[in-house]
Amino acid sequence: MRKIPFLTLLAAGAIASFTPLTNVHAAGISVGVPADVQTMEPNGASTDSNLSVMANIFDGLLQRDASGKLIPALAESWERVDALTWRFKLRQGVKFQNGNDFTADDVIFSFKRIATPELSAFVNFGKQIESVTTVDGDPWTVEVKTVVPVPFFDQNLHQIFMMDKESTENRKPGDVGQHPIGTGAYSLAEWVKGSHVKLKANPNYWEGAPEIKEATIRPAVEGSTAMASIMSGTVDVLQGVPVEGVKVLEKNPKLTLVKRPARRAIFLGLTNAKGKPGADLRVREAIAHAINEEKIIQKVMFGFAAPAAQVSDPATVGYNPAIKRAKYDPELSRKLLAEAGYPNGFDITLSGPNNRYVNDEKILAAVAADLAKVGIKVKVDAKPKSIIFDEYKQHKPEFYLLGWFDGSYDFGRSFAKLLHTYDETKGTGTWNAANYSNPELDAIAEKASNTIDPKERAKVLQELGVKLQDAFGFIPLHYQMDLYAITNAKGFDFKPRPDTWIVFKQIGKKG
Amino acid sequence: MWKYISKRLAQGLIVLLIVSSLGFIIFQFLGDPVTAMAGQYATQAELAEVRHALGLDQPIYIQYFNFINNAVHGNFGMSYMARLPAAEIVFQRLPASIELALAAEVIAIFFGVTFGVLVAAFPRSAFSKFIAFGALFGVSLPSFAVGISLILVFAVIFPILPPLGRGELVELPWGWQTGFLTLDGLKHLILPAFTLGMLQLSLLFRLTRSGMQEALRSDYIRTARAKGLGHISVLFKHALRNVLIPVVTIIGLQFGQLIGFSIVTESIFQWPGTGNLLLAAIFDSDFPIIASYIILIATLVVLLNTIVDITYAFLNPRIRYD
Repeated sequence: MRKIPFLTLLAAGAIASFTPLTNVHAAGISVGVPADVQTMEPNGASTDSNLSVMANIFDGLLQRDASGKLIPALAESWERVDALTWRFKLRQGVKFQNGNDFTADDVIFSFKRIATPELSAFVNFGKQIESVTTVDGDPWTVEVKTVVPVPFFDQNLHQIFMMDKESTENRKPGDVGQHPIGTGAYSLAEWVKGSHVKLKANPNYWEGAPEIKEATIRPAVEGSTAMASIMSGTVDVLQGVPVEGVKVLEKNPKLTLVKRPARRAIFLGLTNAKGKPGADLRVREAIAHAINEEKIIQKVMFGFAAPAAQVSDPATVGYNPAIKRAKYDPELSRKLLAEAGYPNGFDITLSGPNNRYVNDEKILAAVAADLAKVGIKVKVDAKPKSIIFDEYKQHKPEFYLLGWFDGSYDFGRSFAKLLHTYDETKGTGTWNAANYSNPELDAIAEKASNTIDPKERAKVLQELGVKLQDAFGFIPLHYQMDLYAITNAKGFDFKPRPDTWIVFKQIGKKG
Repeated sequence: MWKYISKRLAQGLIVLLIVSSLGFIIFQFLGDPVTAMAGQYATQAELAEVRHALGLDQPIYIQYFNFINNAVHGNFGMSYMARLPAAEIVFQRLPASIELALAAEVIAIFFGVTFGVLVAAFPRSAFSKFIAFGALFGVSLPSFAVGISLILVFAVIFPILPPLGRGELVELPWGWQTGFLTLDGLKHLILPAFTLGMLQLSLLFRLTRSGMQEALRSDYIRTARAKGLGHISVLFKHALRNVLIPVVTIIGLQFGQLIGFSIVTESIFQWPGTGNLLLAAIFDSDFPIIASYIILIATLVVLLNTIVDITYAFLNPRIRYD
């Protein structure tokens, strides 16, 4: 009896020596990220944490450089022919990681695929595509026609990834979702779900093989785990340093802390339905002046946030640097409330998530405390995101907190979703949680959609921003701050991107 | 005996039905997965299309019936977030949880029983007082505090053990990836296994100690000593044997709990097991994953309990199941 376990052990040991799955000490970069990788279905998740990984394995027709600028990728050039038509000149000689050639058929296939609800988190974008065809018998020119004018169509193409038609059609969806085949700078070497994703450089990449040969992405979801992973050297770069841990890491001479304003803005929305206090512009203005954002940034965000004057960030088309925040002035606020007929304030419920944004529940409490000082009695209703966002979509709140950045870098698209009058058939106002409605703003937004010239359009959107600010359509609070810690010893030249994607081909080595 | 086993399994099925319907009721309050699936730009019409594709637009009892019907045929649906078969995902993560629970169990048994015997034998030594004091901590400290302290001491201040993950793995037949067979894998196992095993270690320690104190006072021990048997032999061969029966029961019963309740430990150490998966699934309202997990863990616990009962009958022939 005694010999069996020993023999088993011996046999197992023999297997062990032949098939090691991972080698943690290999050269390359290891990155700690705050959210787990969900799927290898390239457009199956719209979270930046997932898109970030996909952007290494796959390419879109276009891509963004480290500063967020749109540049060519699998398309060498592109133009908007008319309101509904976009034309792309494809790059020739690109190969997928299985050796197949990248052709127009793959483009047609990939665009069709993103309209499939079972496989895509970009259904809305996919459904706006009417047809994808090659033009004038040229197999390298592709024309996309949209159902309605989609002025930001190109702005979204860095996150619509091109798949190999042949190998995707011949495999089960379950297999496609685990073993990705792209044209990207890296191919998937190993995915231990919940633990890590390992990528290896694609030697035949069309831009040339990347400098970093091996990259490991490790989710470290718990704040304390993330801290331990960078302090112990398990990861070389940590994304999403917990704000509570910044002071500790700053003192560590082996690490460099990098921060940049995030794209996401946190803001408040308020109903302007007839009979509600928010229908009076003076009340909206009063609320804007009553919130002490400086204090929220210092006390709630530990200084790691930047005050916001508008919902879009500087990288977004339609951002207007001329817009300024309403300044903190509770005295003025009380005066405005009295003028509006609320000298003793009023009661209102403020809805918001408690597990979505950095310290979201504490922000809600701070806003409630500030408004109490001018007489507005706020009841905070904080719930988990999966529940509260459902209420948002049913337009239940009258006063709410939301965070937003536009993945397609377009303020027009943000406005259509966030504040345009809710209209189910047109698909506008899906996220207009408190059913705000302002026909003047809607009209400007529609004008922007029909403007083809990108420069002209940006101007119209900037004008929309000003009008929105004058109407206090939103009460912007702050931009979150993206925080990274980087180990100095290995000499990685890492610059965080505005969209928080970690694109390894853009990371160099110093010296 | 067979009658007893089939009765237990039938009871187990009823438990599974109740557990799954409870899971289903909870799911109604978890929130809507459709928004995350369709993307933030989806219109109400597109959301409705996704909802229809998932069958979430049907009344709750029909959804439940379909779920049970599919589950009986071995189909637990596709994970909403991963867009992969849910049961497959849960099974891929199971080895990590089982290995962690096994390691925790071994640590708990080894230290718990040994310390229990020693402390009962030498109650007045400084070592015993220290252990008894430590056990109090083990029972009362929540596992996240234990885990974070261990990480702080052994991974950050003295960087000798890794703070997260499973390390180097080896693929065994049937896709079982084990960390038991590499030094790196074992190193990754130590901290989480101690964290998870701490509570049970303390419980086993106290159980063994009180049992031993009782046994050491009894006549047969005095007789054994009088016969001139060695101290060690008396302690481990004579006294411990009689103490072990309740200890074995507790060990068996708690193994299922070690797998089921490893969520906190797994999330602290980013251990790629089922607990961590469940946590992520709850945040994303990924019901097929949650359902597969609940059914799998409930099945495991029911099976383990049945096995414990049967072993008990073998260990003690006086117990009969008729």
